[in-house]
Amino acid sequence: MAEASSQIAAGAPIVTVNHVSLDYRGDKEPLPVLADVSMTAGRDEFVAITGPSGCGKSTLLRIIAGLTKASGGDVGVLGSPVTSPRKEITMVFQNFVLLPWRTSLENVTFALSSRNDLSDAQKQEKAKGALDECGLSGFENVYPGELSGGMKQRVGVARALATDPVVMLMDEPFSSLDDLTAERLRKDIYSMLINPSTSVKTVIMVSHNVEEIIELADKVVVLSHRPAHVAGEVMVDLPRPRNKKSEEFFGWVDKVYALLS
Amino acid sequence: MAEPGHPLPIALVMPGNVRAGQVISLVEITGGLGAKIDAQRLADELGADLAVLLPILDAAEMLGLVKSEKGEVSLTDLGIKFQKTSKNKLMLLKDKLATIEPFRTAMVLASKGKPVTAAQVADALGEYGIRWHYKQELNESLVKMLLVHWTIYAGLMSYDGKSGKFQKA
Ligand SMILES: Nc1ncnc2c1ncn2[C@@H]1O[C@H](COP(=O)(O)OP(=O)(O)OP(=O)(O)O)[C@@H](O)[C@H]1O
Ligand SMILES: [Mg+2]
Repeated sequence: MAEASSQIAAGAPIVTVNHVSLDYRGDKEPLPVLADVSMTAGRDEFVAITGPSGCGKSTLLRIIAGLTKASGGDVGVLGSPVTSPRKEITMVFQNFVLLPWRTSLENVTFALSSRNDLSDAQKQEKAKGALDECGLSGFENVYPGELSGGMKQRVGVARALATDPVVMLMDEPFSSLDDLTAERLRKDIYSMLINPSTSVKTVIMVSHNVEEIIELADKVVVLSHRPAHVAGEVMVDLPRPRNKKSEEFFGWVDKVYALLS
Repeated sequence: MAEPGHPLPIALVMPGNVRAGQVISLVEITGGLGAKIDAQRLADELGADLAVLLPILDAAEMLGLVKSEKGEVSLTDLGIKFQKTSKNKLMLLKDKLATIEPFRTAMVLASKGKPVTAAQVADALGEYGIRWHYKQELNESLVKMLLVHWTIYAGLMSYDGKSGKFQKA
């Protein structure tokens, strides 16, 4: 497990985004995408980022992951700046790629190939554990082409979990799934990620689906139109599991919509 | 190839496009919505087309999880138990599944101790006119999908992707 994170007090920030700005190089002139974005993600917090289409949500996530360099400001994880990808930070993509010629187990084990501290047997053990955590025990020897969309997504989550990340980033993880399958994965994902047996200490998910956000998030960061700044934050104070039919639930949905318009 | 050698009663056949996860969601949502709910409202709640929902409903009914009468859907006792079980729900359906095709035939063929391929199961069922698609290749791959998606979860069979073979778990 990640020792660095076990020292951190509950609620203390794991991820800090300080005055981040980003301009993409356009054809003629620079395209300002993020303008002074600040936010934090705390211990055991599930944070959702939302905002109008094209406002820079994926860009912000990539900056947090260390995949894109900010033009201004900085990002810190566990107190040190993120300037390039780090092993404590992992990302699950919308249509993430599984290697079709490898079984589920091999796909997950593959993520551990650079871990010289683990023997092959330990890697397998770890990979099996992650698959089990994601509800896939028994599916170790199945190829991606033989899995449904929801199960492929679970293998992707297992692959991310196996690397013992502290920060789990997800960009629209449910958007390519049919409604029923997404519903099912949403029901499981919170406890799959935030539970004492995983190393994950904070989750940041980008989504445009406000009901999905209220079902899952402790905190919602709403971005404005491009160039994006933080239009507002909502702390969702609802017990789990959340009743999607309750009036209270829709109260929170409305709060987020109010910030979106 | 085909050697079922056992009389087939009127067969229960799993729809080829229904996945275990969808049935689980359906049961959860039906349970969450109260005693009885009409199928159209259920489809609306799911944001799904009635055309998408119907085969899933069929599957859930075949598995004894829901009853639908005059367009109204409700959970059976098994459905309620299923909804309350948190881990390995599909294990509850082990016996039920073994009565539904193509799982039934796969289990019969595998009971002779030898692992079976989806093609062998598809061939055996084809003898009785049970097919999910008229093209042999697609039919085989649908049978394989069904076996992978249901029997592993339920703990009925295990699967080895390298050899493409299923055996009794
Ligand atoms: N590598 C790039 N170079 C130039 N412009 C880019 C690049 N990547 C994204 N953009 C532009 O930056 C803006 C923000 O893109 P981004 O993908 O971050 O938005 P988003 O909020 O995730 O959008 P969506 O809601 O469609 O997922 C868009 O106008 C996009 O066209
Ligand atoms: Mg995006």
